[in-house]
Amino acid sequence: MRILVVEDEQKTANYLSKGLGESGYSVEVARDGLDAQHLINEDEFDLVVLDVMLPGLDGWQLLQLIRRRSQVPVLFLTARDAVEDRVKGLELGADDYLVKPFSFIEFLARVRTLLRRSPPREREHFRVADMEMDVLRRRVTRQGERIALTNKEFALLELFLDREGEVLSRTYIASRIWKMNFDSDTNVVEVAVRRLRAKVDDPFTHKLIHTERGMGYVLEDRT
Amino acid sequence: MRIINSLAVRLSLLFALVSVLLLGCIGTYLYHSLTREIAWRDDQMLQGRLERLESLIDNGESVDMLHRRSHLYANMLGNRDSLLWILDASSRVLIEINPSDLSVPNLPMTDTVRMLDTTGPVQARLAWHTFIHDGRSFTLIAGKLLDERNQMLRAYQLTLWFAMAMGALLALLLGWGVSRHGLKPLQRLVEQANRINIRQLDRRLEVASEAQEISHLSHGLNRMLDRLEAGFSKLSRYSADMAHELRTPLTNLLGQTQHTLRRERSASEYQQVLASNIEEYERLSKMIDSILFLARTEAPSKESATEEVDIGLLVMQLCDYFEGMAEDDGRMLINNASGLIVANRDLLRTALANLIANALQHGRSNTPIHISTHITGEKLHLDVHNRGDIISQDDLPRVFERFYRCDPSRTGVAASGGLGLAIVQSIAHWHGGEVYAESSDKNGTTFTLILPNS
Repeated sequence: MRILVVEDEQKTANYLSKGLGESGYSVEVARDGLDAQHLINEDEFDLVVLDVMLPGLDGWQLLQLIRRRSQVPVLFLTARDAVEDRVKGLELGADDYLVKPFSFIEFLARVRTLLRRSPPREREHFRVADMEMDVLRRRVTRQGERIALTNKEFALLELFLDREGEVLSRTYIASRIWKMNFDSDTNVVEVAVRRLRAKVDDPFTHKLIHTERGMGYVLEDRT
Repeated sequence: MRIINSLAVRLSLLFALVSVLLLGCIGTYLYHSLTREIAWRDDQMLQGRLERLESLIDNGESVDMLHRRSHLYANMLGNRDSLLWILDASSRVLIEINPSDLSVPNLPMTDTVRMLDTTGPVQARLAWHTFIHDGRSFTLIAGKLLDERNQMLRAYQLTLWFAMAMGALLALLLGWGVSRHGLKPLQRLVEQANRINIRQLDRRLEVASEAQEISHLSHGLNRMLDRLEAGFSKLSRYSADMAHELRTPLTNLLGQTQHTLRRERSASEYQQVLASNIEEYERLSKMIDSILFLARTEAPSKESATEEVDIGLLVMQLCDYFEGMAEDDGRMLINNASGLIVANRDLLRTALANLIANALQHGRSNTPIHISTHITGEKLHLDVHNRGDIISQDDLPRVFERFYRCDPSRTGVAASGGLGLAIVQSIAHWHGGEVYAESSDKNGTTFTLILPNS
């Protein structure tokens, strides 16, 4: 998967390209709009990450140029989170946006979503280590023992299983489980995860849900 | 056009206009009454002349004699604008004194004295009268040429016009002077106002010494300055507070990172520091978000979409969101809210979420939180009630201030850094509503969000 990062701020460009590289993507960096235009004309990319404040050719103009020739997914980054800016980006054909400052986890989650070409198939069955989930029958077992979960806990566990091995940020979890697209000051997500852990992890020695301090939570089999 | 914009010029022009109108009215009145007066006196004179002639004839002077001595009458009348005819019954001229050679007027017979203005190149006023003497009927016509009178009136008219023009000019000049003088306090006001700048917002305009109108204006301006000064000092206090709030996480970041770099450490120690740094970064980022949010909701004339929002449903979603947290503390969220309101859904949700989060944070364990609505008049009241820490009466009005903490020693409890309730207030104001808090031992703490219900 090839990703083009168009970003003039050097530090940002560096860590984005490093981070994406470590996540298994091959990354090209363009430092200004004209560079980016050149690269896009020469090469094929699976995703363009575009900062809208660019010297030379600005992000909006570049976006229009890109849309003239291809339907490559575009994720735009902006420091201004005025509603008009976001609407403008989406109208010009961007697929998603992130407002600076954003967490890298959040960024990676968006990138993955955009690169997943077809909409994810609803899975009916999950198995991680000794944990099994039957989505249709709403059954969760560990070591064959049935674990009773509330609806919210079930939805949360399903989200973790679906994104097995991916670190999920608190914001992302809140937006998926409660459809809350705002950051509340409270530790609602921590509490929810703790309650889920109390049921699915605490009684067992082999833990599956892990806290990535400062980033979020991940469900994976770490043996 | 610029000159018309000057108040002094406008006033003096108005003065001139008023004087023209006034002098015009007076002049017209004077002219007409003079005309009437002169005409009345002329008529009296003509009538008298007729009477004297009639009595002369009655006293035995025969008409023939009169005729023979007509030059005598001409002398007697003495001037060149008098006319006199005596006609007999068949309109034959017996006596004629007519220096302007007017044709003999053809007048109907009349017993009483009648008056008439002739028309034509030479204007005259005539009085005539028919009477019987010795069985013969005579018509006496006395007249006066109007030339002289008209001339005099014309001269008088000219004088009046001249007086009016001079009056208007004088009024213009006087008006100019008076306006300039009268507007001097305004000039002084401008000078005073010019002396007030951003460093001297505490200066006020002098009120006492000026005219009433000006002091009203000064009062109004002073009140505006009060509000501006309050807003401005509030703003600079926010900036200072904000800088202070930013210092804490930055100090942590700086100190912690430098301390770590002083010597070689294990990988897990580095990880520890970096993770702790992330927490501080998140705090900073959250604070910036909140400040930007406040700046946006408080920016004047920023229109955002409103829609019909089902309050009951909104509160239900929020209760669902906070349920886990509440249960963790042995508490319940009780939703008694209902009703529809036109509002911005996202803003309203943020406000309610902040109120509920606040109630969860400050409420006592194992007590419920009630969220309810009621309508009074045009307003919808949304109450969030909890039992727990009481807010003192001194703190109550201040809890909505940015970065305000009831307990100064307690820092960083909320990740918003003391902006949650300020955000609620700015959202209330955005909707044209209000928010206030009540707190007592007996009734617990209630935050009420009041929104216009139209």
